[in-house]
Amino acid sequence: MKDSDILILEEPHLSLGDQFYLPQVLKGLGTTMKHMLKVLGGTDRVIQYPEERREDMPVEDGGMLLQTYRGVHRLNKDEEGRPKCVACFMCSTACPARCIHIEAAESPWDDREKYPQKFDIDELRCIYCGMCEEACPCDAIELTHEYDIVGLTRQEMIFDKAKLLKIYDETVKDEPM
Amino acid sequence: MIDWIQSNIPPWVYIAFIVHFAILGTVAYLILLERKVASWTQDRIGPNRVGPFGLFQPLADGLKFILKEDYRPAHVDKILFTIAPAIMIIVIIISIAVLPWGGIKQSTRQVTVATQTDLKVAAATALPVGMNVIDAKEVGSIPPGTNLKGDAVPRMSIVDATYRWPFQITNLNIGVLFIIGVLSLAIYGVVLGGWASNNKYAFLGALRATAQMISYEIPLGLSVLSIVVLYGSLDLNTIVDRQAHYWAGFIPAWNIFTQPISFFMFLICIHAEANRAPFDLAEAEQELVGGYHTEYSAMRFALFFLAEYAGMITTSVVCVALFFGGWHFPGLGGDVDPTNPSVTTSMSICIVRSIVIFTKTIGIVFIFMWVRWSLPRFRFDQLMQLAWRALIPISLLTLLMTALVLKFGGAMSETYRKELRIDGGLATIFFLSNVILIALVMIVSRMIPAAPNTNHRMRVIGSRYHPVPAPLTTTN
Repeated sequence: MKDSDILILEEPHLSLGDQFYLPQVLKGLGTTMKHMLKVLGGTDRVIQYPEERREDMPVEDGGMLLQTYRGVHRLNKDEEGRPKCVACFMCSTACPARCIHIEAAESPWDDREKYPQKFDIDELRCIYCGMCEEACPCDAIELTHEYDIVGLTRQEMIFDKAKLLKIYDETVKDEPM
Repeated sequence: MIDWIQSNIPPWVYIAFIVHFAILGTVAYLILLERKVASWTQDRIGPNRVGPFGLFQPLADGLKFILKEDYRPAHVDKILFTIAPAIMIIVIIISIAVLPWGGIKQSTRQVTVATQTDLKVAAATALPVGMNVIDAKEVGSIPPGTNLKGDAVPRMSIVDATYRWPFQITNLNIGVLFIIGVLSLAIYGVVLGGWASNNKYAFLGALRATAQMISYEIPLGLSVLSIVVLYGSLDLNTIVDRQAHYWAGFIPAWNIFTQPISFFMFLICIHAEANRAPFDLAEAEQELVGGYHTEYSAMRFALFFLAEYAGMITTSVVCVALFFGGWHFPGLGGDVDPTNPSVTTSMSICIVRSIVIFTKTIGIVFIFMWVRWSLPRFRFDQLMQLAWRALIPISLLTLLMTALVLKFGGAMSETYRKELRIDGGLATIFFLSNVILIALVMIVSRMIPAAPNTNHRMRVIGSRYHPVPAPLTTTN
């Protein structure tokens, strides 16, 4: 760094009120008091989370826009209850976080060659970008609106095939495929 | 048994117990209030999960502090590390002792004492220590005789003793001086804690606190002095008593009207004294990760925390006593002596007065919090400049102004010469002098040369950013 790199800025001109601190201090106190009175009057910006949820609120009041929300994944099933996934590895290839781990096996059904023997998603690594959903050629993987997923260990947060299919069962009513 | 307690245990013992626990309890709830105020200014609600409106939050917090691990890092000075928070809280609790809560209580009690020429002295022996007996009337007597064991008993007098005692823990006639002296010891807690922690941030915090404390003690003392000069007394109870009357029949004669400049000085200085924003450079979470209490955890940290809030209460009570008439509230005078309104015979009045002073105190504490969540922290050179270039000269001028007004205006005022009370006329002179003084300060301060720019750029030759020699440059 050289002296020529230094930008010397003019200090802003101080008004009389600025120079004597107190008038401006009182102005600032007035601003905070206005906010305090507003909250005490009942207009806060708080969502009481477990009772009030963003998905239940209109978008104008800070609610979620459900059409574009990307939450936890699910593995879709077809009409016969089989996972739609054909283990093509498109999603795990597209995944920028590399959180999808698939092990393919020969399909027991006639209409497809492969099916996923293992399908693990590390929900802690996932960045919820939705690329897997975009990449999937047969609409097998989808992001739901569920966001309150918790676990006590890291291992718990690696969702396997059974868990992902279970999420499909739980969310299929709210978000049909 | 009850008789023995009444004649031997002085009332300040009970008051000490009640005040002690009341203040510690209030401190816990002030922490809740602080969080609430923080939330309100930020359009939030604040803690509301533990109990109704979050009212049990302090209990949960206290429990957490007690149960947490009391961690002490390696290579700390073990003794100093332990006593630093203790010093802090002890000092604050000591300063509670001289706060005036409810004026002076006058009681009457019938005691039986051996007849003496001076019945007041005799009655005093039958009362707890420290009671000021003002009147002792003999209402009956027991002739001399022998008791059941056969010992000779002299003539006994049944005396109606009227005595007065201050409704506070102890009535020191140098109360203000005591509080300022004791509270400035609290800095030892900060400095020792910062030094003993073996941590550079804690050390920096302690350094800052020292410089800040030295600077702000001066305007604090000077602004108190202009009140002390006014009444010629350092006794907080007397100062409150002299404010307990009205101007023009309805305006309470509080010092906020006679000494508004001093009040602002005092308010600013107690912010600095309590290490509260915008003067919290010693803690400065953002730059010093908590400053002097960086290394403290669990109950040791809680003691620092408690001391900060208890210190706020103490300084606020002093502020209320000096500038807001203490326990005085319109319609709440004494009922014994019109020239001495602090004396009352009713216990309930004493209690109501305590509640009044407490409410006013909470008001001042609220200002503390309000300011904390409104103003950003000062830079260190700004802090020093505010003290040495603004507060100290102005408070000196205020003191001079007070002395001059008292010299010339006080001589004219009948009330002031007789009772040392400020009457309406003198108060008007004071108020106008304050206005003139502030106008004068504004005009003069524009004429004195600007402060030197403290934001020097240091020579960086030889550093990794500046390997080649270069001339020393400064901005501006």
